[in-house]
Amino acid sequence: MSEVVLKMEQIVKEFPGVRALDNVNFEARAGEVLALVGENGAGKSTLMKVLGGVWPYPSYQGDIFIKGENRRFYTTREAEESGVAIIYQELNLIPELSVAENIFLDRQPTNRLGAIDWRKLNSDTQTLLDELGIRDFKPADQVKHLTVGKQQMVEIAKALSKRARILVLDEPTSALTDREVAELFRIIRKLKQDGVCMCYISHKMEEIKQIADRVVVLRDGQTIGDVTAITDITLDQIIARMVGRDIKDMFPAPARQRGEKILEVRNLEVDHPDLAGEKRVRKASFSAYRGEILGIAGLMGAGRTELVSAIFGACPDATHGEVLVAGNRIDIRSPADAIDHGIALLTEDRKAFGLFLGQSIAFNTTIASLPTISSRSIGVIDAARERALVEKYVAQLGVKTHDIDSIVGTLSGGNQQKVILGRWLNAGPKIFILDEPTRGIDIGAKVEIYKLLDRLAGEGVAIVMISSELPEVLGMSDRILVMREGAIVAEFTRKQATKEAIMEYATGARRTGQ
Amino acid sequence: MRQNQALQFIKTNATLIALVVLSVALALADPTFSTARNLSNVARQVTIVGIVGVGMTMVILIAGIDLSVGSVVGVAAVVVTLLMQAGIAAWIAVPLTLVVVGGVIGMWNGFWIARYRIPPFIITLGMLTIARGVALTLSGGSSVAVADPRFASLGGGYIPPVPTLVILAVSAALYGTMLIRGLGERWKSGGRGKLDRLAAGAIIAAVGFALAVYVFGRGDGLPVPVAIFVIIAAAAIFVLGHTRFGRRLYALGGNEEAARLSGINVTRTKMIVYVTVSLLAALSGILLASRLNGASPNLGTMFELDAIAAVVIGGTSLAGGSGTIGGTIIGALIIGVLNNGMSLLGVSSFYQLIIKGLIISLAVWFDVLQKRK
Repeated sequence: MSEVVLKMEQIVKEFPGVRALDNVNFEARAGEVLALVGENGAGKSTLMKVLGGVWPYPSYQGDIFIKGENRRFYTTREAEESGVAIIYQELNLIPELSVAENIFLDRQPTNRLGAIDWRKLNSDTQTLLDELGIRDFKPADQVKHLTVGKQQMVEIAKALSKRARILVLDEPTSALTDREVAELFRIIRKLKQDGVCMCYISHKMEEIKQIADRVVVLRDGQTIGDVTAITDITLDQIIARMVGRDIKDMFPAPARQRGEKILEVRNLEVDHPDLAGEKRVRKASFSAYRGEILGIAGLMGAGRTELVSAIFGACPDATHGEVLVAGNRIDIRSPADAIDHGIALLTEDRKAFGLFLGQSIAFNTTIASLPTISSRSIGVIDAARERALVEKYVAQLGVKTHDIDSIVGTLSGGNQQKVILGRWLNAGPKIFILDEPTRGIDIGAKVEIYKLLDRLAGEGVAIVMISSELPEVLGMSDRILVMREGAIVAEFTRKQATKEAIMEYATGARRTGQ
Repeated sequence: MRQNQALQFIKTNATLIALVVLSVALALADPTFSTARNLSNVARQVTIVGIVGVGMTMVILIAGIDLSVGSVVGVAAVVVTLLMQAGIAAWIAVPLTLVVVGGVIGMWNGFWIARYRIPPFIITLGMLTIARGVALTLSGGSSVAVADPRFASLGGGYIPPVPTLVILAVSAALYGTMLIRGLGERWKSGGRGKLDRLAAGAIIAAVGFALAVYVFGRGDGLPVPVAIFVIIAAAAIFVLGHTRFGRRLYALGGNEEAARLSGINVTRTKMIVYVTVSLLAALSGILLASRLNGASPNLGTMFELDAIAAVVIGGTSLAGGSGTIGGTIIGALIIGVLNNGMSLLGVSSFYQLIIKGLIISLAVWFDVLQKRK
């Protein structure tokens, strides 16, 4: 057995209100590929940011050992210098510069005058590419002309140029074609022979079986079980570790009555914004009913957000297919149209797409339903009515604040989410779509949101809830759709659904049947 | 605690305090400054930039910019005078100019910005040149004179002292009742937070009315353009603070994508804003032509910079989403008082430019400093 080059011991990382990492322990050896798997939000990315110095010491607790030596990284640079390189999902290259310039960014060889020695820059790069057996592009090629797969190779070459001995790959294949994946794997195998230690973050089971030597599972910020050789564990066992314990009684007991069909989506397709001919959503058809909570499960990037955004009219020009509300085919050309038809969408990223951070709770609550607080004619706002209405929602949703004039940006994540929920409640939706409604908020607020959704369903609203947290989907939904690669690949009733079955469809471990 | 509140008051009202300090200093340095006649002049000079500034506040509030306003002032002045030279009566020529110059240019700007998402900086920079070119072409490059006493009264006339005092008394009474009603509502709902601010507002308003009585309640009375400016500013304050449309502007400037996903018609809202600013610029041009009894095609050159300066000094964020008309009025007054005071003190106009520039930089620096905290 080869030497242990990386050991992380009792790592704990807390964010306000959330414990993202809660006692993580694992070790990795030279010349191996260690797969780090877990659901979305299990803490994989946070863990890698701790290792890479993005969350510097002492913003976390625990110890990191590199080749047996206890290291504390105060900057990303220190992590790099001790041989750690992290290749993030979002690549960090400068598109306008060449491959060579990117690889040797800020470390370009110079001549006596201090100018860049282009010949040496390019020849050094070529040597590096040769070592990796990369023939698809040249040192002088501009990065913006390369595919994502090739850009990833550039990132790997860059990491190696810094003599990285521990290479972390965060979901490296999420945007690659099959051929590019094969090329990536070839390089990974090559690096393995050279004794590089690789941590491979993924939730694609087939890949892990193919490329990993050992696997460790992360769940709710904890490592579950020991690091296990891939030959000693089945996919089912990995999935069992990923989804973990049973749902506690966080969720309201389902006593819901399904009402009439209110929303029907037929063959909805959404074009890819950058790649012509590619689809983000493929032939999606489903229905939602009054009084029912419909869960949509799937991995990140499965097309769930795109599907619901399209229904909401967020990208009318890229959307094809039919949407029927209460049996009537409607043409939704904008979110305003959708709201008029009684549809509400609570977006996934509340800071970017939901909140007006510099404005008050009152402003944020009433902005999507201004007619409810203003005169019909020229829209004069009735301040007293607004105050009464907003105070009602603040009390009902339990927003913790002393004044509805408080600026939303100063509230906690859970309270911010409640403000947006108030916004949509005031719009009085018949169909309420929620995209990751409990992301990044504490347990207490989560439970309150679950109760609210249950109550709304009881009042006859059709709830459509996207969630990457399986316990949540299972605990809340009357029916569950599973999406993978832009298509709805499975549908379960509450009784049929199991975590394992959903995960199998979501990851593509199982492909056919219902 | 008390000290903290005082500090907070100074911070939130920094521009107003600066205006007061500046005015008091000028009054001490040169007694002419505080005469009613001089202050009336300052007020009239401020109106032109002030009216454009009201529109500019809305544009900057939605994180946009309009560089073409100065040229629109020029075109509007030339067009209205040419129309009247052609024998068209003032009461037709004025609205016609507003629609043809303000409306059309605003729609052009708005169309490209709202519909095709062309950066406002670029499209209005283009219009700056185009409109100036149009003004020069229409006028043949020379001044256009107009001699119509009714038209002249628009920019140069006065409302006599007695009616002025009546108007002031009525507005003070209206403002007072509004204040008391607002106070009562707040008291009932227990929202004490804004009470101090309301009190501060009442004091400022009282001082404002007293000053207005002092300046406009005698001599010639209230200049008509000042009255027009006050009406426009009051309307804009009302629209921004108390209507759906105002809310949409703050939303759009704060987070455009979130605004769209909240059902706001972004295209239409932007369109309205760019048309409004052009209309106001055209109105400024008309008032200017009226006061000068004619138009030069170069009227309004660099006005965009004064208007933007007034908005920025007034605390509106160039990033959009926060700012007030009240701030812009104070900003315009600071520029106006500064110009007037420096001229009274005999500061060379070259130095005036340098000082004005420094003050704008200072205002922005202060704004950034406050944001960082």
